[in-house]
Amino acid sequence: MTDEKSGRRRRLRGGGPRAGTIAAFLTPFYLPFLLFYLVPVGYALWQSFRVVRRTGGQFGHAYTTFGGFDQYLQVFRNAEFGGSLGRIALFGIVQVPVMLFVALIMALLLDTPLLRAKGFFRIAAFMPYAVPGVIAAIMWSFLYSPQLSPVVDLLNGIGVSPDFLGPGTVLWSAANISTWCWTGYNMLIMFSALQSIPPELYEAAKIDGASNWAIAWRIKVPIIAPSIILTTVFSIIGTLQLYSEPAVLRQISSNISSTYTPNMLAYAVASGNNYQQAAAISVTIAVITFVLSFGFLKLTAKRAGL
Amino acid sequence: MSTPSSRLRLVGAALTVAASVAALTACSSSDDSSSSAAPASSCAPASGPVTLQYWNTVPGMDQVVALWNQKNPTIKVEIKNVSNDQYGQIGNALKAGTAPELAQVGYDELANLRLQDAFVDASGCADAKAAKDKFVPWTWSQASFGDTGVFAMPQDTGPMALFVRTDIFAKYHIAIPKTWDEYAAAAQKLHAADPKLSITFFDPNNAEWFNGLLWQNSAHMYAYSGDKWQVTVDSTASRQVADYWQKLIAAKEVRTDLANTSPPMYAAYEKDQVATYVGAAWAYGMFRDNLPKQAGKWSIVPMPTWGTNPASGDWGGSTVAFMKGNKHLYESVKFNVWLNSDPEALALENKLGGLYPASLAGLQLPALSQGVPYYNNEKVFDVFADSSKNIDTSFAWGPTQKTVNLALQDAMAKAAAGSGTLGDALKTAQDAALSSMKDQAIPAAAG
Repeated sequence: MTDEKSGRRRRLRGGGPRAGTIAAFLTPFYLPFLLFYLVPVGYALWQSFRVVRRTGGQFGHAYTTFGGFDQYLQVFRNAEFGGSLGRIALFGIVQVPVMLFVALIMALLLDTPLLRAKGFFRIAAFMPYAVPGVIAAIMWSFLYSPQLSPVVDLLNGIGVSPDFLGPGTVLWSAANISTWCWTGYNMLIMFSALQSIPPELYEAAKIDGASNWAIAWRIKVPIIAPSIILTTVFSIIGTLQLYSEPAVLRQISSNISSTYTPNMLAYAVASGNNYQQAAAISVTIAVITFVLSFGFLKLTAKRAGL
Repeated sequence: MSTPSSRLRLVGAALTVAASVAALTACSSSDDSSSSAAPASSCAPASGPVTLQYWNTVPGMDQVVALWNQKNPTIKVEIKNVSNDQYGQIGNALKAGTAPELAQVGYDELANLRLQDAFVDASGCADAKAAKDKFVPWTWSQASFGDTGVFAMPQDTGPMALFVRTDIFAKYHIAIPKTWDEYAAAAQKLHAADPKLSITFFDPNNAEWFNGLLWQNSAHMYAYSGDKWQVTVDSTASRQVADYWQKLIAAKEVRTDLANTSPPMYAAYEKDQVATYVGAAWAYGMFRDNLPKQAGKWSIVPMPTWGTNPASGDWGGSTVAFMKGNKHLYESVKFNVWLNSDPEALALENKLGGLYPASLAGLQLPALSQGVPYYNNEKVFDVFADSSKNIDTSFAWGPTQKTVNLALQDAMAKAAAGSGTLGDALKTAQDAALSSMKDQAIPAAAG
């Protein structure tokens, strides 16, 4: 009896410091995760179910009360929200495949033995990613502006007068900035996946008579499919959160409205002090992002062997 | 690595913290509802030295405050520049209960912030009430919400005028327009003479500017009667202004591709593509500093008028507001009155920050009665002083002005791009005003 008791005590004592160690190692992750992730998300969720009421009069005092799904109904009735979703859907359907295709081609080219100065090209392609998104957007806005751009001047010189900031073109000007910023980043992910393919595979393929072309499309691309899917998911998320490029172009083009993308709409609503509606918009964007990215993963899981 | 039970415990702890945070925020929000309408606060002087916080966006304000601190050792003022996201910072501080004693607030944001319960009423202080006669009437009317309290002291204004490239008008033998009709005729002549030349630009993303034009035509956007706000953003008077500019836009006689104060705008002026600028007093230094080569080519004349009515408009300007939680109202009033009506302070603010004073004494500053070399030594400030006197005193801003401005801008941009008209934009803004006020539970009706 006493032996058993002391044995248990010993075990407990032995477990004490270990639990402390675990906690010490986990706290640096869980505490910020809780404070800066779960709590704000929870707060936004809670806000999105509130509505503002007032005690009356011209300058009556405001208070909030439970409003059920009122804010969400308003999100779905808001034509601006639908419009902004449609805009980024169009953006995503065109920009994401184009960008990833270019990234894939660049990664494959870097991976061929034919190319010289690989280190230079790898860094050069990745460089735009090192430029902060807002700076890139400001830089491009100078290239787009008909008053300031040497590109527009040059094109005018040969009789072409493009309008990069027109109502029909400004979306694609923004898409171009995103593509410029992110292609190198996506290329690097695909390229590092290519690097991990054992060279024996290529030797075997060559012995079987496969051309370089066949090796690229029949061996390399299928093997790095998980990376391509990963970059697609990142790009879908990035598209849904589109903000800085259109927000910067808005400074020089009135063809970008204050509600151009869902995030811009949420910001505009919040700046009008309607925090509850802004919260509902944010939660809705989050849910759509979640559904789209997991939906895409699910759809491609089998093919990619994930 | 971690056992299921320790993981559970962590989740448990996380939930406890989350719940307590939720409880905390719940408490603070119910606190909002219980706060009652505050009467004018008492105005007892502090027994010892005090320190006041004053947030603003004015360049060189540190030197003005240094002057005050040197003269008033017992009322020390500390400043913070909030140029970056002014209203975001003020809003956050209000929510956190850490608002400064005094903050710069634009006239068009006063109603919005008052509805956020942002101000204290300083009318309990004799000095505050007595300051009324020191200021241009419309500024006092807005800062006091029609004399229902003293929530802020007017600081600067933006009486509007017409900036004119006299050399371009002389070149094409066109008289400088005095009325909007003459202005439209000149627009047509200039554009016909040189297709690359426009009389001005219409920036659809600048509701503040357009509101100044509405103000000139006494197109009141809001009124308060009974227990409701009356919304009259879309009115006969506002339609007159909108239809006028719509015609110029449709005829392509004004440009719509330039954003106010953007590098492309300066480039267009530099290339002699734009002949006038419908601007405000604070812009007098804008051309001087950005287009030094055009010195002597510019003149400033009164804003074109609607018929023979001499009324002018205002674009911009700010007040210094007494913020919620202010425990040193007596000292705050002393500083605020000095800051905005003392000639020495006003002269410094004008010199360093380019402020055009809201104070009547300020309009007589020596610096404001001299000729300005850039404008051929013309006494351009006399034009702004006259403009200031001709501004409608009963114009009022709405409690959701920012939302209305954004809606107006988005719709004006559509009109400029060829879908819809500026008249439609007024309708959109009117709807946005009503719906945003409904969202904030502010009683409102179309007036």
